[in-house]
Amino acid sequence: MTTAQAATRVFEEVAVGDQLPEVRLPLTVYRLVMAAGSNRDFNSIHHNSEYARSTGAEEMYANTSFLMSSWERLVRDWAGPGARLRAIRGFRMRSFNYVGDTMRVLGEVTATRRDGQDGVVEVTVRCENSSGVTVGPGVVEVVLPTGGEDER
Amino acid sequence: MTATETETEWKAAWQPVVDAVGRDFADGEITWGGDPVERGAIRRYLEPLEFDCALHTDPEVARAAGFEDVTMPYTGVIAWTIPAAWRPGETLFDSADRDAQPVHTAINNADMPIGPKTTGFFGTDIEVDFHREVVAGERIGRRGRRLVACTPKETGVGRGAFMTWESEIVSDRGDVVGLIRIGTYAYVPHQKGEQS
Repeated sequence: MTTAQAATRVFEEVAVGDQLPEVRLPLTVYRLVMAAGSNRDFNSIHHNSEYARSTGAEEMYANTSFLMSSWERLVRDWAGPGARLRAIRGFRMRSFNYVGDTMRVLGEVTATRRDGQDGVVEVTVRCENSSGVTVGPGVVEVVLPTGGEDER
Repeated sequence: MTATETETEWKAAWQPVVDAVGRDFADGEITWGGDPVERGAIRRYLEPLEFDCALHTDPEVARAAGFEDVTMPYTGVIAWTIPAAWRPGETLFDSADRDAQPVHTAINNADMPIGPKTTGFFGTDIEVDFHREVVAGERIGRRGRRLVACTPKETGVGRGAFMTWESEIVSDRGDVVGLIRIGTYAYVPHQKGEQS
């Protein structure tokens, strides 16, 4: 979310079927090493190709924290700073996100509802690489501020 | 030995783990993250994601939004509950082999007291409920480590079991800030040329 995009989306602006702007993350060695260092998942499968191959993988691959936080970035970029995350469900890693590929994070609004004063939006999110879907699809449950008047 | 007998045999080794479904392997104890949530660590967490949200980087923006300091990205509940890798007096590395692993780490299945010894390990799925935001200055940890599922299975990378673990995310301020269920696959890797 850049400064120009920092406005918070309100619940009434959102409709089922809305597509979120995709996030593209080239998975370089450099990025994966930075990710391991910052999220403290130093399992060698995430930064050491030789070790990763010894465990049956083709290459080193992105770690869980990095993948899950890419979902948060996708939703935060779209929803803005006033949104709250309530849950992440169905975050299932189907295949490895290998180094040297580009991961795309994609999302679509699949449900909206009011819960008291909250406007709750379910965004269905998935990661894809050159082989297809690698993570998800799962759901990020987001709470957006409401305009207070609209009764969807 | 037939392939079927072999499968029966290796799956039987996982039966004690299957039988332990429901057990809290941490006995309700809290495993605290190695450090409190802090601004610099949040910044480093954001960097490889190119994740630009002022709530996480600008204390003034965070305060204007009602928080007392910058907020931890929600998904940081994993990173900030990983315990310290090393403590004074401990030996962490005891081998000069290129790919030698640390003597102990929280990121594998090595501390599992029952079941087969595994060397391969990765996460498979996660569900998290976030009860509230965590801000810089708080320390969080995981209370309990309850095994809620165990399914032995052979995959393309080896023989092992899918396991699901559940913990509460707690703050040093005394409340529960979330609930996390982590799926893992712990396995013995196939030897080169071995059929999967």
